[in-house]
Amino acid sequence: MAHVALKNVNKIYGSGTRAVHAVQDLNLDVESGEFVALLGPSGCGKTSTLRMIVGLESISSGDIFFDDRRVSDLEPQDRNVAMAFETYALYPNFTVWENLAFPLEVRGVSEVEQRQRANEIAELLHITPILDQYPPNLSGGQQQRVSLGRALIRDPSVFILDEVMSHLDAHLKFQMLFDLKRLHRDLKRTMVYVTHDQVEALALADRVAVMSNAVLQQVGDRNTLYNRPANVFVADFIGEPPTNFFTVEPAQNGDSIKMIVTNADLTFALTEQTAAAVKVHGGNRFTVGIRPQNLHLDDKGDLQAEVLINEYLGERSILSVANSQAKFRALVSPDVTAGPHSSVRFSYDPADVLVFDEKTEALIV
Amino acid sequence: MSDIVRGDPSTYPDWFSRKKSTTPLIVSRWVPAILVGIPVFVLLAIVIYPTVWMFYHSLRDTNIQGLFMGNHEYIGFQNYATVVGSERFQDSLVHLAQYLTFGACLQVIIGTALALTLYEFVKSNAARTVILIILVLPMMLPPSIVGVLWRFLLTPSNGAVNQALLSLGLIDAHIEWFNAGVSLWSIIIADCWNWVALPLLIVYSGRVSLPPAVYEAARVDGANQWKVMRRITLPMLKEVIAIAFILRFTDAFKFVDLVYVMTSGGPAQTSELPTYIAFQRGIREFAIGEAAAYAIIIFAISAVLITLFLKYMKRVMKAQGLA
Ligand SMILES: Nc1ncnc2c1ncn2[C@@H]1O[C@H](COP(=O)(O)OP(=O)(O)OP(=O)(O)O)[C@@H](O)[C@H]1O
Ligand SMILES: [Mg+2]
Repeated sequence: MAHVALKNVNKIYGSGTRAVHAVQDLNLDVESGEFVALLGPSGCGKTSTLRMIVGLESISSGDIFFDDRRVSDLEPQDRNVAMAFETYALYPNFTVWENLAFPLEVRGVSEVEQRQRANEIAELLHITPILDQYPPNLSGGQQQRVSLGRALIRDPSVFILDEVMSHLDAHLKFQMLFDLKRLHRDLKRTMVYVTHDQVEALALADRVAVMSNAVLQQVGDRNTLYNRPANVFVADFIGEPPTNFFTVEPAQNGDSIKMIVTNADLTFALTEQTAAAVKVHGGNRFTVGIRPQNLHLDDKGDLQAEVLINEYLGERSILSVANSQAKFRALVSPDVTAGPHSSVRFSYDPADVLVFDEKTEALIV
Repeated sequence: MSDIVRGDPSTYPDWFSRKKSTTPLIVSRWVPAILVGIPVFVLLAIVIYPTVWMFYHSLRDTNIQGLFMGNHEYIGFQNYATVVGSERFQDSLVHLAQYLTFGACLQVIIGTALALTLYEFVKSNAARTVILIILVLPMMLPPSIVGVLWRFLLTPSNGAVNQALLSLGLIDAHIEWFNAGVSLWSIIIADCWNWVALPLLIVYSGRVSLPPAVYEAARVDGANQWKVMRRITLPMLKEVIAIAFILRFTDAFKFVDLVYVMTSGGPAQTSELPTYIAFQRGIREFAIGEAAAYAIIIFAISAVLITLFLKYMKRVMKAQGLA
């Protein structure tokens, strides 16, 4: 169990015109025993970050510490980390059970104990029936679980799990999320979990680190990411359906400020606190964001719009609406029957209105 | 012709329905016959006919004169009895076993070791290529040159090998490289030098194509180099090494050239291999029938051994889901 610290870590692949800056000035602290999820779209540098923590990839600049020990130059063998690979990387010439037991075999664990631990892990991951098979004969989801099992069977200072559930069906995934969460609670081991599925990340992790374009955007728990996203990217990426954005211009409204949408007949009121922050920040154009679930159907509401589509999704419906040029979405109860072309009004809590700088896209608080 | 109605085949024109028949119009029935016939003919001419011819003469008392005059008689399996019963053949089998173990096997072992060392310890691609080219050079030399070269190198009195061993202090008298009991070893050494690059190339290319991710997993799992080599690399290269072995193994059965150039099977027939005797009896002494019997026996031995070997390979690969 270790505290993992990444300090100003950079990764640049290749050189010259073909250089790829895969990870840029990454600072991240994972507390001892904490479960952190690294979330971001494909190609944003998640796997590169993990590979540097594990030691499979050299660090272009910056440093990595496990507790107070600098590990940047250590071989993977000497870092005591366990990793489940995105590409599985199973030993094709070993049976499933030999694959699971190999990390133990390397450490000189007795064969009896190897067997026992492999059986426990297999039970946990529902792969007991395939213990004697060879990996090339397994399905993607089975291989993925074997790879996860090979990581979990060890007792390392850090667990590194790279998209270990991407090939599982929804039912199995749900069960394994639960099992993994419980496993973490029992073992209290430091875990870094990479995924591009926000449901997984938010369900499992104590804190979620959101990455985009090689840059770490924000680290925080579910509430922070939801209610105080650091920038437009996080607001857009976290939450389903994504946040609605409007380009606005501020206007004095007594003591307060209201935000007038430039391309529609819509106005957003701000809390005093936000208004003060906007005043301090200055500028005459901003981006306002409001989450679809924070727009409430209300005949007396301030925001008027015309319904474009009413999508029924079982437990809820998504209303896609428009007010002149501005299109946005609201999450409503499935009982709402408003059809296309009908007029609706929404109310909102000014506290749910997020204001971002138009250029830097950073949240203004 | 009347109008065509879609969905009503009776109104379709003739050529349209004909298309459904199994013989396409353009391909006459002679084309497949010719296409199949050519390879069958080639096979018959260069494989089947000589084999049958050889088997036929192995049952007759053919010699060179009889072959041209057409007078040779059926003598049953007498040629086979002569061959199997002769001490010369029995000795040559022992030589063959020695050559297979220390020639073919050792070549594969040394080649594998060199290939893996090259891959693990030389990381620059340019250096690897240069080393590979140098190692492959001997393979490009014709056997006669290799034979002559090694005759010189191994010349007892002032050959380079003895000189080197002497000056290194490893021996204190000349090794008589071409005496009875030693001459076969000389051939094995020369052959090893000549052919070690073949298993090397095969194993090297096999190693290059192993998935790097597996090695990353092994590093993360904490395995050291030796463990990785023993538990992962060598088992994964099993099939490739087996193929290198089969190639050297089959070559061993037709190995004649170096024996001929370096020792001519001597002294006193102590470095003869079965194939060399077949060559001697057939081409030099014109005992065509007996030489044919030799050939058939060698063929049978190698066929049995290689079939067993392939069977084993197939079982291994099946268990691993590779075949
Ligand atoms: N070995 C490499 N050489 C050059 N570029 C690389 C290499 N590995 C990754 N990259 C580049 O670095 C960037 C980040 O890749 P990375 O694999 O870390 O993404 P990721 O976030 O894990 O994506 P995914 O969710 O698709 O797995 C990509 O643009 C990729 O093309
Ligand atoms: Mg990845």
